[in-house]
Amino acid sequence: MVSWKGQLAVVSELAQISKGPITPISSRGSHPDIIRLSLFALLALLIIVPLVAGGFLVYSLSLCFANALAVLSVSVLVRYSGEVSIGHSFFVALGAYTVAIIEHQFGFTVLVSLPVATALGGVAGFVFAFPSRRLSGIYLAVATMALALALPEMLIGFEKITGGFEGLYIARDLIPFASKALQRYYLALAILGLVCLALAQFRRSPQGMALLMARAQPRAAEAIGITGSWARISVFTLSAALASTAGALAGFASSTVSPNSFSFWSGIFLLVGSVVSLNGLSLAAALAGGAFITLVPTYLAHAGDWVPILYGAALILVSLVANASGLQRIVQGWRVR
Amino acid sequence: MTSGTAHAQALTVDSISLSFGGLHVLSDVSMVLEPGVITGLIGPNGAGKTSLFNCLSGLYRGQRGDIAFAGTPLQGLGPAQRASLGIARSFQNLALCPDLSVIENVLVGLTLKRRSGWFSAFVPTAGRRAEQAEAESSAMAALNELGIAAAAHQMPAELPPGTLRLAEIARAIVSEPKAILLDEPAAGLNAVETRDLMRALKHLMRPDLILFIVEHDMDMIMKLCERIYVLNFGTIIANGTPDEIRRHPDVIRIYLGDDADD
Repeated sequence: MVSWKGQLAVVSELAQISKGPITPISSRGSHPDIIRLSLFALLALLIIVPLVAGGFLVYSLSLCFANALAVLSVSVLVRYSGEVSIGHSFFVALGAYTVAIIEHQFGFTVLVSLPVATALGGVAGFVFAFPSRRLSGIYLAVATMALALALPEMLIGFEKITGGFEGLYIARDLIPFASKALQRYYLALAILGLVCLALAQFRRSPQGMALLMARAQPRAAEAIGITGSWARISVFTLSAALASTAGALAGFASSTVSPNSFSFWSGIFLLVGSVVSLNGLSLAAALAGGAFITLVPTYLAHAGDWVPILYGAALILVSLVANASGLQRIVQGWRVR
Repeated sequence: MTSGTAHAQALTVDSISLSFGGLHVLSDVSMVLEPGVITGLIGPNGAGKTSLFNCLSGLYRGQRGDIAFAGTPLQGLGPAQRASLGIARSFQNLALCPDLSVIENVLVGLTLKRRSGWFSAFVPTAGRRAEQAEAESSAMAALNELGIAAAAHQMPAELPPGTLRLAEIARAIVSEPKAILLDEPAAGLNAVETRDLMRALKHLMRPDLILFIVEHDMDMIMKLCERIYVLNFGTIIANGTPDEIRRHPDVIRIYLGDDADD
């Protein structure tokens, strides 16, 4: 475990990153047709992959989709409220354990537990956000850190339901007798795609625009009737519901949940993924963030202690590059409208 | 001037005093903003104009005195609650969201009239689409009224300050408020933009609308307003028609200096 001083340094570094200039989201991307076309190509490729590729890649990609959704949940928080959470692993774990516990206690499959996980995530997000509705910046980040730090202790403390150190297995399939690997893969991909579509709608909705206004011009928003606490509570609730959904998918995709998967660092990694994807809310951005935090450690497993250093270097590189004015146009095209 | 003579729908300020620590920003300020009258507030830098403005919109709370709108006391209500009573304001520094296009910035002004729920925020239901079309047509109407409909789909970063100021006013009027408070609307505008702004504001005026303008630009206030209050060191030193203000000896001495004999 890294020292407290080290953790706080990371937190303050990350809070600084989130304060960087907000690139205007232009509705006129440089080549909207090319972007749309390449998106379809990417989707088509992802749909075909499991039919041709080997089991390990399919398994890694399923986890990558779930992580992409978790990264997306952090990006939603950053984009719509300007806040940073380093404790989203708490909500991810909530979703994953919801799936496992519902299966063990009641025998229901992910068909039932996935919506339950989403709803529970929203409730937990609200319960956290309500008392912290006046916190922002580094203070909110530290408050979320408390969630991430308390989580492993809670999982071990409630050993009877959570399985303690061992964790729990998730054995039941969504569709009986169908290929396990394929249903994990396609469920995660489908939910990720649906969430991206829903978020694109959200950007144009009255609520989405009100939140952007509250973020950019809090006093003006207040004068229109949008209160800061409403905005903070709404975004956090939404973000936590998405994180919990991601956790449910991750649990289902990996067939197991254990405290090891939800250390303090997994919350930090989600934020790293969000920064690496430039806090984008598009499918491509989410996949980039998810791939970064899933595939890099998987394929660089032999790098061991070098993985955190790699992450740190990537963080610095991305925040430097993303804030360089020459690349702003590329960034705009990358971000969803 | 006391609230006794006021119009029933007026916004009245009754002996407001505001201080920050030992610094008296406003002392015993009273004024009446009546519907159908463009009222102006002038005063030198640091006179307390913006502080008074913030007391009206609810960002500050005076230590003493009362503010009432159409008979409803406003003391104790926050900015959002005052907005729901029909009081809209603009800001001295442009307060548009850079992530939203001009028309979207105006649409946000309709937040309090929104009916569609959270589900339809993610799924384009028929109800939401109908509401959105309706909202867009009122936003377009507001932009049209101010003469900037052509800029509707542009981003704030691409537009000159004059257009942005008008967009901000469009956001204030789109919800059809009963009172509009404008904080230095001509700040940062050139002569042409200021003229366009004045034309737009005159066009906006209705018998049942309270329009209150805090301004630095003496010329604009004199041409636009029917009633003018002059604030200096936190107290109202004069109020009256532009002609009365122009001739008022205190105003000439304290605010206008020797160049006021135009």
